[in-house]
Amino acid sequence: MSTSQNTHEQTQFSKQADLTAKLVGLHVSKYNKNTIFLIILSVLSIIGLIGLIVKITNDGFDNPAKWGYYVTFVVFLLTTVQAAPMVAIAPFIAKGHWNRSISKVAQLFAPLGLINLLLFIPVLCVLPSLSDGRRTLWFFESLKMNAYMPHIITLISFICLVLLGIALLWISTVPDFAVLRENSKNTYNKKLFSILSNRWIGTSKQWFTQKHRIGILGAFYFMTLVILNFQISSDFAMSLIPGWIDSLYPATHTANSFQAGVATVIIAMYALRKWGGCKDFIGFDQFWALGKLMFALSLMWVWFFFSSFIIFWYGAKPTEKAIIELSMTGPYFIPFLGSAFLLFILPLLTMPFNRIRRSILGPTILAFFILIGSFLDRLRIYVPAYQLSDHPNKHNFYLPDVPKTILPDIPDLMIIVGGISAVILTYILLTKFIPVVSIWQQKELSLYKIHKKFHRTEVLVLGKPE
Amino acid sequence: MFNKRSVIGLFTDEDSVADALDKVSESGFKSTEYEILTGTPYPDGTFGDEEPKHKLYRFPIIGAMCGFIVGLLLTAGNQIAFPLITGGKPLLSIPPMLIIMYEGTMLGAILFTVFGIIFESRLPRLFMGAYDTKITEGYIGICITSSPDKMLQAEEVLKNSGAEEVKRGWE
Amino acid sequence: MQEHHHRTDKQINTDLLSSIFSTPKWWPIATLACLIVYLTGMTAFAYMLNKGVGVTGLNRPVFWGFYMVNFVFWIGISHAGIMISAILRLTQAEWRRPITRAAEVLTVFSLIAALQAAPLVHVGRPWRADLWVFPYDFSRGIWINVKSPFIWDPSAVMTYLTASSLFVFVCLIPDLAIIRDRTKGIVSKIYGFLALGWRGTPVQWKLQIVAGILLSALVLPVFVSVHSIVSWDFAAQIGPEAWHSTIFAPYFIIGAIHSGVSAVATVMVVMVWLFKWDKYITPDHLDAIGRLLIIVATAWFFFFFLEWVYALYTLEGPELAMRELQVFKMPWSAMFIIFVITAYLFPVPMWLFKKVRRNFLWMFITTISVNIGMWLERFLIIVPGLMRKQPLMFNWGSYTPSIVEILMVAMTFAWVLMGMLLFARVFPLIPLFDIKEGMVGRDEIKIGRAKVPASIRE
Repeated sequence: MSTSQNTHEQTQFSKQADLTAKLVGLHVSKYNKNTIFLIILSVLSIIGLIGLIVKITNDGFDNPAKWGYYVTFVVFLLTTVQAAPMVAIAPFIAKGHWNRSISKVAQLFAPLGLINLLLFIPVLCVLPSLSDGRRTLWFFESLKMNAYMPHIITLISFICLVLLGIALLWISTVPDFAVLRENSKNTYNKKLFSILSNRWIGTSKQWFTQKHRIGILGAFYFMTLVILNFQISSDFAMSLIPGWIDSLYPATHTANSFQAGVATVIIAMYALRKWGGCKDFIGFDQFWALGKLMFALSLMWVWFFFSSFIIFWYGAKPTEKAIIELSMTGPYFIPFLGSAFLLFILPLLTMPFNRIRRSILGPTILAFFILIGSFLDRLRIYVPAYQLSDHPNKHNFYLPDVPKTILPDIPDLMIIVGGISAVILTYILLTKFIPVVSIWQQKELSLYKIHKKFHRTEVLVLGKPE
Repeated sequence: MFNKRSVIGLFTDEDSVADALDKVSESGFKSTEYEILTGTPYPDGTFGDEEPKHKLYRFPIIGAMCGFIVGLLLTAGNQIAFPLITGGKPLLSIPPMLIIMYEGTMLGAILFTVFGIIFESRLPRLFMGAYDTKITEGYIGICITSSPDKMLQAEEVLKNSGAEEVKRGWE
Repeated sequence: MQEHHHRTDKQINTDLLSSIFSTPKWWPIATLACLIVYLTGMTAFAYMLNKGVGVTGLNRPVFWGFYMVNFVFWIGISHAGIMISAILRLTQAEWRRPITRAAEVLTVFSLIAALQAAPLVHVGRPWRADLWVFPYDFSRGIWINVKSPFIWDPSAVMTYLTASSLFVFVCLIPDLAIIRDRTKGIVSKIYGFLALGWRGTPVQWKLQIVAGILLSALVLPVFVSVHSIVSWDFAAQIGPEAWHSTIFAPYFIIGAIHSGVSAVATVMVVMVWLFKWDKYITPDHLDAIGRLLIIVATAWFFFFFLEWVYALYTLEGPELAMRELQVFKMPWSAMFIIFVITAYLFPVPMWLFKKVRRNFLWMFITTISVNIGMWLERFLIIVPGLMRKQPLMFNWGSYTPSIVEILMVAMTFAWVLMGMLLFARVFPLIPLFDIKEGMVGRDEIKIGRAKVPASIRE
């Protein structure tokens, strides 16, 4: 078999230099100068903040039923924005190549967890202590646990997740900061990037440790995310609904968070491709790969959902019937229908077709609907959970009556709009300092990916280092 | 079928196969009259040939629809035909129907896919035509299938293209 | 993959068809031994048919014992083949090539073993089972009960068996043509008939490759449904303690993958030992499957943790009593300890060491250990769950398997072993064309003085 390795070696140097220049140029040419858009986002964020203040003032923390939509939104952010970095982590551990150009797009969501951490504080105030006699995983009565264990442990996990996310982003960007340090003309930027690059000069040892650090931090981020999903779904939802025992729900919650995380990254990819000048780096391959992953996660969601549903339907104990009515057929029938349609039926009807899957717009539109579906899926669980959190029958672990539907009030809507705006705004501001396409990962890819002639055709050759 | 004859030329090198294909084409044989035989799958276009076309993807969709309909009729029909209430469930219970309909859909899709693979590969093939067992040992064959009067020309082209061995066979 | 052995097509044919064209001395002995065990089990089965299920250890309230444990175990093992083959095909993992066929064949034989050990054998009058499985009783107007999990189960298992058998057959066609070309007379005619006249045209190859991916994508959802439905045989019931749990479907699936992938690793090691295919199945392959096993085992352990935690979460007396029985009362406690150690605590820390992952003997020991543990896991789910008084039962009881049951369990193991040995004598256990394709697509990228293994992607 003939090879073109010599040519490959000769062109490596110029390829790497060109890539560096192109990616630094992409970072410096500020696409985020659309000030009107930034001002609108800032105003909406402030409106959200006002909404939060109004909510605290008007409703206080004594009536959890009033906070159902707020909790839904916080959990929605956890399962979208904070799950998005997984798109960078899993393929990195699996040594994939296709994800290199979008790994930073995904990792940039990690620091946004800080906003969610702040939003989480009122949730902690709303959640009742364990002394109300509900069934919990903390076995409050038998183990004599602190009544605020869910609050304390979940907060610790939340903080860990945010810190791990920030550390992951920083560690994986250090070589890029070094490149920016060398290429900055502005003294302030040079100083900033010198600090951020942490004396990076690219020794073999530095590369070796850096890759291991990313792998370890990524693995810990994944584990913390799973644990947090477990804690949130059990302590902040399941235990508040008398009689609801669903051992699969934490896994369903986590699977949906991966699905929504992928959807979040796809939407960010679309925006960066369209308005961020990343067309050369974010292409069909990435949309295709993530589209397939999103579809697989949709199937996983429905499998988990059906696995829970069939047991409740078949068991048909009074409590099980009440739970089905509460979260599916009763007061939250429309959100349930919406979530089932958007999270499963729509992907099933569209994604098997290659023309939709292998396009830019197809996976993007679907990702948008999946995010809406995820919100509705959270809503049908968390809103009734907080309606029932002061239910008088919780000592009997049995749900005799299903409450009525409640709708969001104006402050809820303000918080939701403001929260989403704040997340987008912060993301855009972060891209001012951090290149959205990882320079070092692209350069490394150029070493392992070559196109070459194979007899009468051209093939792609992908190297896989040990 | 019976008024055709075939001849095969055996090669050991991919590039000479590609060159030979050019010569076969230049000497007037249509692309439907010759084909490459290999013992290994090669990337599309390795020999400068066109990418093979197929309609396999239609088969699982049709199969899935058939399987779904059979599953639906079977489950609904059984429940209606034998109206026995068990476990307090409705007579026409949809959740268990979904399970069997799902299996039916998948079974239909798989059966049709396998049928599609065999059909689209034009198998089973009763007459092997010109063939040599060395194909499965790494040799690459160019098989020309045409009218008996063109066989001499075909043999000539293959020999001139550097075929190590040329053999005739029935179609 | 660092170890590269370049082999020509002819060498590959010679190496990988050696199991067909020459008979090792051990083969007839091993096959005969399996046959004897199998026939002994069949005799026990015939005895049970004649005397009734009273000859087993099954009695109130434990009506499900070794047979169901074995059924779940073999269904679990059967998940390995398709899981390995389909997922690795879809992800274009290069290291899949030498192991897909053995994994797929293991699926088929395990499924048939599951059917032999299945609920069918202890319904008392198995010949009447068709009446409740197939809708054909026109004369009496009695139709199947779609609402019963025992209808879902056969529909899923039969779909899976059909799908995986066809999958094996389709992927076998090019290799059958190779054997056809190397044999003579009637034998060649039989292989030629099975090869359907395969010649190796570009369209045939294209469809073969597409078929591998398409069938993988179609079989995967079936594979997921099968063990989910098997788990619902248990979880749909509200009577027995610890069974009515929503997590059962994914928990059974991930457990099946854990035991199944381990079984594939065991088969890989045995293939190297028996057929000397060390140029094709290398320590790199074991390393890759070992790494996969760490992830699978840990995911399984997470689900095991969830299952346990939510059992305690119920705070219901009977459930807690059953868990107490599982963990603190002999002999269940001993079994529980052995199960946790053999299924997770021993193998997974071992696999963290590269030396262990790349060592054939250690991989054999650790993967066998997993399957001992996973068999016990099923036993601990089924039997203690039935032993306590339930809403639908009136007494407590225990379970001791009879010799008939033990022989029938041994029979299923002998069946799978015998099936694999017979298959290896007639068909290649390593897909030749897949190996050859890997050789064509193999490349190397030179970066400075380093040579990075690479592969061609279209």
